[in-house]
Amino acid sequence: MSDPVSRLVATAQGDAIDDPFRVTGVMMQYYYVCERELWFESRNVEIDRENASVARGARVDESSYGERSQENLRLGMIALDLLEDGRVVEVKPSSTLTEPARMQLSYYLWYLDRVLGVEREGVLAHPTERRREDVSLDDDRRDKVESAIRGIHAVVTADSPPEATEKPYCESCAYHDFCWI
Amino acid sequence: MDKNYHIFSDGRIERSEDTIRLETADGEKKHIPVEHAEAIYLHGQIDYNTRLMSFLNDHGVAVHVFGWNDRYAGSLMPERGQTSGRTVVEQVRAYDDPEQRQSLAASFVRGSIHNMRTNVTYYDSREYKLGGVIEDLDDATARIGDTADISELMGVEATARRAYYRTFEAVLPNSFAFDGREYNPPPNPVNALISFGNSMVYANCVSAIRATALDPTISYLHEPGERRYSLSLDIADLFKPVLTDRLLFRLVNRKQISRDDFRDEVGSCLLNEEGRTTFLKEFEQTLERTVEHPTLNRKVSYQYLLRLEAYKLKKHLLTGESYDSFKRWW
Ligand code: SF4
Repeated sequence: MSDPVSRLVATAQGDAIDDPFRVTGVMMQYYYVCERELWFESRNVEIDRENASVARGARVDESSYGERSQENLRLGMIALDLLEDGRVVEVKPSSTLTEPARMQLSYYLWYLDRVLGVEREGVLAHPTERRREDVSLDDDRRDKVESAIRGIHAVVTADSPPEATEKPYCESCAYHDFCWI
Repeated sequence: MDKNYHIFSDGRIERSEDTIRLETADGEKKHIPVEHAEAIYLHGQIDYNTRLMSFLNDHGVAVHVFGWNDRYAGSLMPERGQTSGRTVVEQVRAYDDPEQRQSLAASFVRGSIHNMRTNVTYYDSREYKLGGVIEDLDDATARIGDTADISELMGVEATARRAYYRTFEAVLPNSFAFDGREYNPPPNPVNALISFGNSMVYANCVSAIRATALDPTISYLHEPGERRYSLSLDIADLFKPVLTDRLLFRLVNRKQISRDDFRDEVGSCLLNEEGRTTFLKEFEQTLERTVEHPTLNRKVSYQYLLRLEAYKLKKHLLTGESYDSFKRWW
């Protein structure tokens, strides 16, 4: 039971295990945006948010409602938006964050498939550009999701965060001053 | 969000709609816009009620109370930001680990002496001959690494501070004689200014610390419990030379503060109301001054430097990344 992926599945299926491991959609996204930020979030390193620029988590959540979805589903560790035809929709928050949003969506599809045995298609929506991208869970994506889960596990169980490396989103990150003082 | 409001008069403050109303004893009414306030400083006899407290709590505004002789009497802190069990656990761990405590305490002392030294070199280069003190401070700095425990470190700090205070006599005019630091009550104007300024630095540090969810009662150089908010003592020491002392020299040497700004009582000397107003006006302006930050690549206010110091400490405690105390770089 040491592989993070099987541990995650066991936790999600409600099996009693000693050391539950959870991955939310936002964690998957953070993993692709900034591993250091993921570490901070996982440890609840709160910095006074009303003073810092908008926290990314909050921004992402709010922007998810740019697309009309029929249903908002909470399933264990994940909360997803479904379109009328049952496809899972994820709204891409900004043009720099396509891959994180794509991976978040892929994770939802993987979770539905692996944990709940439900196969679904996904749509990545770009409301500002009025474009949609279809995402489905092929083997390649499956592998990517699983290796990301292992990567997330490594980050959140580490004693110290990965070093700060300069990224374009540092400027708008809630942890900016925390990282760069 | 970053303004301090000082209230000197006696009277009452209360919530009035969505703002704070001050009504002084002589019937004057004033409003304090809550959205701009970081903290309210009460220097007079002020009444307030729980409705005001909840309102301030909702807006994250602290209240710092000063009592008789301008002594810091306590704070009413907003609840927000105080809830990080993890931070407190790490704070205590670091306190309990002799090596880590020593290294944090040493960093505070190193920073304090550095900032004293910056003041001394500034005045040394302007015709006052203070060279000997610089050597004393450098000697003290060299001894920091050899100290075996906190009390030795405290000793080094005290020696440095004594040497530093010797320069006050040289820099200040004769009418402001200063024969070393004496605390309560301050016996002469210079001591009164230092005490008043340092208590403002202290209260501002309390606000800064609270905003980061650090527990202000767990400290490293000073012993927890020495004062209620002993972590504030640790951090305030770093900033006293920058915030209090430089201002004091300026105000006195430019004659913005004179002997008339004090009231003498038996064995003690305190700023009078006019003196406090002058001092605080300049003190608040100093807090608003900005300086280019070397790694944040933007200008930050002196007041924000206090906050950053708390961030740095918190970062060290939570991530294990090293803590380097504030050293004036400009
Ligand atoms: S400031 Fe940059 S390095 Fe630090 S957490 Fe944010 S994105 Fe990551």
